[in-house]
Amino acid sequence: MIGTFSGSTAVAGIGLRQYKRGKAPMPERGVLIRAIVDACEDAGLDPADVDGFVSYGDDRNNEPVRLMSDLGTKELCWSSMIWGGGGGGIAAAFGSAAAAIATGQARAVIIFRTLVQGDSGRLSGAVMAHHMNDHLLAAGIVSPAQPCALRAQRMFEHHHVPLSVAEELVRASYYHGARNPNAVSYGKELDLGAYRSARWITEPFRLFDCSRENDGAGALLMVSSEMAKDLKNKPVYLLGVTQGAGRGWGDLLENDDHYASAGFESVARRLWQQSGLQPNDIDVAQLYENFSAQGVASLIDHGFCTYENVAEFVRFENLIAPGGKLPVNTSGGNLAEGFIHGIGMAIEAVRQLRGESSNPVPNAKTCLLAGGPGAPTVSSAIFGTERP
Amino acid sequence: MESATRPTTGADGPYWQAMAAGRLELPRCEDCGRWHWPAVFRCGSCGSWSQAWHSLAMQGQVFSYARSWHPFAGAEGIAVPYVSLVVELPQAGGRRVLGLLRGDERDLAIGAEVKGIAASTLVGETPIPAMHWFLNNAERGA
Ligand SMILES: [Zn+2]
Repeated sequence: MIGTFSGSTAVAGIGLRQYKRGKAPMPERGVLIRAIVDACEDAGLDPADVDGFVSYGDDRNNEPVRLMSDLGTKELCWSSMIWGGGGGGIAAAFGSAAAAIATGQARAVIIFRTLVQGDSGRLSGAVMAHHMNDHLLAAGIVSPAQPCALRAQRMFEHHHVPLSVAEELVRASYYHGARNPNAVSYGKELDLGAYRSARWITEPFRLFDCSRENDGAGALLMVSSEMAKDLKNKPVYLLGVTQGAGRGWGDLLENDDHYASAGFESVARRLWQQSGLQPNDIDVAQLYENFSAQGVASLIDHGFCTYENVAEFVRFENLIAPGGKLPVNTSGGNLAEGFIHGIGMAIEAVRQLRGESSNPVPNAKTCLLAGGPGAPTVSSAIFGTERP
Repeated sequence: MESATRPTTGADGPYWQAMAAGRLELPRCEDCGRWHWPAVFRCGSCGSWSQAWHSLAMQGQVFSYARSWHPFAGAEGIAVPYVSLVVELPQAGGRRVLGLLRGDERDLAIGAEVKGIAASTLVGETPIPAMHWFLNNAERGA
C-alpha cells in the first residue's frame, strides 16, 4: 500500500550557509534566519508566509517562536521537534512537515538545523548530553564515536564485513567533495596513505572515518504539491518517509538485538512498504555518515547489500557519480562537504533531483535520505522528481 | 576510592546500590522469568510489575570492544588509550553490561572470557561505581 501522503508534499526551496568552525559571521540565530530567507527566495515565497517549522537533534536555541520577528511571520501554526539527540530525526522532520501540510495544520513549513560552535558548543558533546547516563560514563563512553565504534567492531569482527568497505565509502565521499565548490574538501583529493595512517580516534575509527562539525545552517521549504506548482523552482516530491525503532532497538545500554546494524531494519521495511519502491528503484542515496562504518551499515539495513556481498556492492566505482550503480553522498556528505548535523545531505538530495548537484547523476528520479545511523531513533525518506 | 551513587530517573536504582556495595545485580521478571536490562518498572513482555534483583557472578564474554585514543571531553579521569567493553552475561539471559577493560589486553577479541570486579571510574571529580573487567588469562592489578 502506498502511503496516503506519498507525493502530496514537495520541497520547494533550499538554503544553506556553511562556514568553517568558528568562522560564522553572525551568531547562530542570525545564520539560521539567513538560510531560511535563502530557502524562501529560492522558492519565490515571502518569508512572512512561512507558518510552520520542524527541527531535530535538540536544536535548543532556535525555538520557532523566536524566529517570527526576523521573518515577519504572520501566524505560527506548526512547531515541532523530532526526539533524539543525534541525526536520526533528519528524515523524520520531513514526515512531520508533510503531516502538518497534509492535514491542513500548516501550509508552508521550514525544516531546519543550525549549529554555531560558540552558541551550541561541540555537537558531539550535545548529542551525548542527550543520551548520557552513568552506565555509559562508567565505561568511559562520552562521545558518539564510541558506541558507533563498538557496533562497527562487531560488524567487522563477528559478521566478517571487511574493513575495506569503510575506506571505499570514505573515498567516494571525498571524491564528490573534491568536486563540489561548496565543500570543505573542495579541490582536495583524499590521500589514501594519510587516511590509513591517520591517528586513531576510537578503534576501528581513524580521524577520516569521523565527521567533523562546521558552523552554519540549512533550511528547506516544504509545501503541498499543488502549491509547489505555482512557486519558482522545480518541486522535489516526498515519496515516502518513516521513523522510529523496532522492538529490541533503542536507548538500551548496548543491549540492542541486531547490535551491529544501524537501526534501520524496521524503518526501512516500512519505507519500502509505504512507498511501493525497492532498493533497485533508488538512483542515488544520501547516507548520513557520522562514522564510515555506520554509512555502510545503513546500506545493509536498507537491503542494498548483505553481510555476505557487501564488499561487492560497497566499492568506490559503484558509489560515485555519474556512472556508479548507486552514487552516494554526492556533495561529499558529512565527511567531505561539511557537517551541520546532516542538514546538508537533505539539501543535496534536492539539488540532485533538480539537476543542480556538483556531481550530477544523469536522469536521477529518486533519492534516498537515511538519517543518523546507530541512533536510538532513526528515519529515512525517499524524494523523487515525479508524483507517483 | 569511595564511589558515589547518583540519583536516577529510571528503574536502575538497585543496580547502583548493589554496585557501590561490591555486587553485580540485574533484575528479572518474577512472572515470566525474562531478564531486563536496562531495568524496567513493568515487564513489557508479560505486563508484570514484579521485578526481582539477583546477584550475579562477575563473569561473561566480550560482546564488543572499542579502544579510545582521543582525549574525549568528559573522560579526562581515564588514561588513554583505554578499552570500553560490552560484556554478555549468560547467567542473566544474555543481557549485556558495560565496563572498562583492565590488565593485559593481548587476548582481547569478541567472545573472550572475562572476569569482573566492582570498582569505580573517575568521571570529572566524581568516582562512580563501575564494572572493571580482566581477560581470564590476564594478570590483575594493572
Ligand atoms: Zn514478565
